[in-house]
Amino acid sequence: MENSALFMKNSEIFAEAMMRCGVRHHFAYPITPASDVMKYTAAHIHEVGGRMFQPESELTVINCLAGLAATGKLGCVSTSGPGFDLMQEGIGFMVAAELPCLLLDNMRVGPGDGDIIGSQQDYFMATRGGGHGDYYLPVYAPSSGQEIVELMPIAIDRAYKYRTPVLFVIDGVMAQMIETVIIEPAKNIVETYDTSDWAYTGARGRGKRALITGSYAHSDGEEMVKQLMAKAEKIKKNEQLWEEYGLEDAEVVVTAFGLPGSMCREIVHEGRKKGRKLGFIRPITLFPFPEKGFVNIPKSVKEILVVEMNYGQMIQDVRLAMNGACKVSHYGHVGGDQPMVKAKEVRRRLDEILEAG
Amino acid sequence: MKTFIEDKNFSWCPGCGHGIVARLCSELIEEMGLRDRTCCIVGIGCGGFHHHYMEIDALEAMHGRSVAVATGYKMGLPENFVYTLQGDGDCASIGLLELIHCANRGIPITVIMINNGVFGMTGGQMSPGTLLKQKTPTSPFGRDAKIHGNPLKVPEMMQEMDSIAYLARLSVATPSLVRKAKKGLATAFKAQLEGLGFSFVEILSPCPTGWKMGVVDAYKRLAGDVAKVFPVKEFINRVGGAA
Repeated sequence: MENSALFMKNSEIFAEAMMRCGVRHHFAYPITPASDVMKYTAAHIHEVGGRMFQPESELTVINCLAGLAATGKLGCVSTSGPGFDLMQEGIGFMVAAELPCLLLDNMRVGPGDGDIIGSQQDYFMATRGGGHGDYYLPVYAPSSGQEIVELMPIAIDRAYKYRTPVLFVIDGVMAQMIETVIIEPAKNIVETYDTSDWAYTGARGRGKRALITGSYAHSDGEEMVKQLMAKAEKIKKNEQLWEEYGLEDAEVVVTAFGLPGSMCREIVHEGRKKGRKLGFIRPITLFPFPEKGFVNIPKSVKEILVVEMNYGQMIQDVRLAMNGACKVSHYGHVGGDQPMVKAKEVRRRLDEILEAG
Repeated sequence: MKTFIEDKNFSWCPGCGHGIVARLCSELIEEMGLRDRTCCIVGIGCGGFHHHYMEIDALEAMHGRSVAVATGYKMGLPENFVYTLQGDGDCASIGLLELIHCANRGIPITVIMINNGVFGMTGGQMSPGTLLKQKTPTSPFGRDAKIHGNPLKVPEMMQEMDSIAYLARLSVATPSLVRKAKKGLATAFKAQLEGLGFSFVEILSPCPTGWKMGVVDAYKRLAGDVAKVFPVKEFINRVGGAA
């Protein structure tokens, strides 16, 4: 079979991509701007022998996913901010229980009920665990429909490899954009992973297996957290992904993730054509944060401008990565009639920084 | 018996009813030949110890979420036998939403709610099953219907649901009630195994420690005052056979 070109909303591309990789269980509760994912799977996942299940709340959604994951099957949950808030306990539970699964947060404006328009305000919740306790999970931030398709098999692989939930974050603007993607024929990679050495399938021909995240002896709990931290360190070491451009002679670097990342790449590109010394870094994984992309920035760089659809979240990780080596400034925008960060404002700030020299 | 682990000391207090239920479940799993395809999903609270004395796969869900976890598990392995074991706090307080909707969907799983009228593990606080006038650390002047609401009659609330295959309230107050409880549990298990729908049993159980009573008095109270409010009864039986 040949590759096909699809012209669809990015939420639908996410659904199609996961189905093509072999995900057969999708659980979700209606919420804007993530409902398009469940609308798509409700109509199509039965064609590949799967099921979309809409329970009564996000609490049930995430805990159904935990139950499914315990059987060794890979399921997916999609949601947006307020639903993602409610799921944090369940996600922490699955990290502690080392249950692989696929999560999608189509980020919307908050806090509270916020609004249904897009934002990138869930950066902290996504990258700092999100619930109580010390834990992290791999977070992928695609900046286009094509990148959703490309990251899907990688994310599924890491879910099994590290036995962990993996999370996609997409801002609500990008989630609803319609794009053309080139997608490969379906290849069920999910069924290639062997889960028989840990799945809770019934004590047939073996001793019992019990999934326990509560520690009845304090030393058990200490051991569990140490193991989770060792896993996080391994992920930090091996799984950093980023895109970079024009760094070799840059004086100012723009960094942004997701859709603003695509926008800033264009701005840097057109600036460089005019001879401006601009560079670009786009984190693709948010956890692990691609520190390796920042530590090798040339000494010519005087300032990094962080552009986000929030009021300053990823900037903290940029500052930690740079550790005072250069100035780090921020441009953020959230809400209003136009939720996106404004290209005009990014250009104005870059001009200002370059002129100040 | 292979399913019940007899040589391990209970974490439960002397006189607690949880051990009786663990024994009954073990006997039935063994008699019905279910051990190697059983998964028990326990709640948080004293019910969480249930599987510690059983040689079966088990998941310890977050507080109140056992029914949701069981739902997802059953979707992953429909041929397996899945039951939850929760207290009245876990099942009917923080977990009531999941219970009602799961029952309404008729998913063939079995939910066992041990009603001892207190949050035992956290120190005997008021729970959905606490009787009126009963004093607990969080109702120190006694449960008052106007302030705390009435004791929650869970199966009475669910008896109009068409999707439930078996619904009963059982008790471990006396040896004859224990024998009756085993029959009720067997019917609930059968409801699942025959794919007839959702099954729910509430089992009245004593908590001498939480009730601040001696063991004998606690069992007398269970057979008397508690049973007056929560009558032992079969509400729905679409399975057939006497319970």
